[in-house]
Amino acid sequence: MSTLLNSLTTELRRGTLTLAVLSQLRTPQYGYSLVQLLEESGVNIDQSTLYPLLRRLEKQELVTSSWDTSESRPRKYYVLSEYGVEIFLQLKEEWMKNSKQLHGLLTKGEDDELN
Amino acid sequence: MSLIDIYIQEVTRRLPEKSREDIALELRSTIEDMLSDDYSEEEVKAVLEKLGNPATLASGYRDQPMHLIGPRYFDVYVTLLKMILPIAVVISLISMIATYFMNYGGEEAVINVALHIMGEGIWRIIEVSMQVFFWLTLVFAILERTDKGKDQNPLTTSLSKWTPDDLKDISYIPKKKAITKFEVFGGLMWTSIWATLYFYAEHLVGVYRGSETGLEFVVPALNHEVLLRYWPIVVVIIGGEIALSLYKLMKGQWTKSIAIVNMVVQVVGTVVFIVIFSNPDLLHPKFLAYIADFKQLETWAVGGVISIFIISAAIAVFDGFRKAKIS
Repeated sequence: MSTLLNSLTTELRRGTLTLAVLSQLRTPQYGYSLVQLLEESGVNIDQSTLYPLLRRLEKQELVTSSWDTSESRPRKYYVLSEYGVEIFLQLKEEWMKNSKQLHGLLTKGEDDELN
Repeated sequence: MSLIDIYIQEVTRRLPEKSREDIALELRSTIEDMLSDDYSEEEVKAVLEKLGNPATLASGYRDQPMHLIGPRYFDVYVTLLKMILPIAVVISLISMIATYFMNYGGEEAVINVALHIMGEGIWRIIEVSMQVFFWLTLVFAILERTDKGKDQNPLTTSLSKWTPDDLKDISYIPKKKAITKFEVFGGLMWTSIWATLYFYAEHLVGVYRGSETGLEFVVPALNHEVLLRYWPIVVVIIGGEIALSLYKLMKGQWTKSIAIVNMVVQVVGTVVFIVIFSNPDLLHPKFLAYIADFKQLETWAVGGVISIFIISAAIAVFDGFRKAKIS
């Protein structure tokens, strides 16, 4: 992939990352389990972005965190707060709307190309 | 020390003290999650590679910009720099030259004075530029770090968000009408040069001869006493020229009033010049003796200088009105 295409793709993805992470935090997750969950759905995420993002979301009070020390190694679990759920649903709505509009734009172009 | 320990240290040492422990703990547990139960060094390296440069990771955690001045302040920063730098340089140069001449006893050779001023002037310009650059950058770097506003729009020079009303403060200037900063500073420079020549004519204006120690001042061309008799009106003209330059700087474009002021300054300057220059006692007797062989040259030269002066003044006046008329 050319570097330009690469950077444009990264830019496209950047905005969706928060939404992807929020969507998986309705149940408590720790860092690596979240990575695995996302990768299962085919979402590849730069880990050096993910961990700082989790802390930022916590600072914005969208998620809450707690240390679980019952297992062999301590893990920090993150889960959506009430406020987080609220924001997530609105953001999801926004995304659905946007992607529908974009889809419209993109497929209209395809029709023109065919004619 | 394992690679993991060193990696965590490299990340946390870049973070504020209070968040270090928690992040270190979480990072370690994450790294261990990614590794198999009995891992090799190769595996560790692969995992750390995935996490990337510790500096980048740390900057993600720190939530602080990795730049001195970001897009929000950059435009204001550059504008202010361009505005302050020339002003600071000019002020420091003027004060330097003024201080020099206040302590000037008149015993030093002119060429040395010139060299001295030039050398110190260059040094001053570098020094002042560095100071201005440093302090302005420092102020903006601090602003960048303390401004936690969510709004990331670039700011205008008044440090507020841009609105269409800002356009009303800016006058539209056609290129042909514009007065460049270069023109203004050129004007000020010219004024200071001829003013210096006027007040130090007995040391500066005259016949020079090359000698072993550089240029040697042989005979002054002008009779300083006669010349200085006109000092009050000359001071008025200097004031007029400086005022005109500042007026031009403020307006930024030729207007009818600038053209009129320009005309007044030019006409007064020309008349005074002609009066001074046609004074028969003006030329120094020693100088007249020195050029005695070229007697006819004298009248020719005086006439020539006066005509050149009149013509250039007329062109300047006409040009001012022409530019003021352009719409």
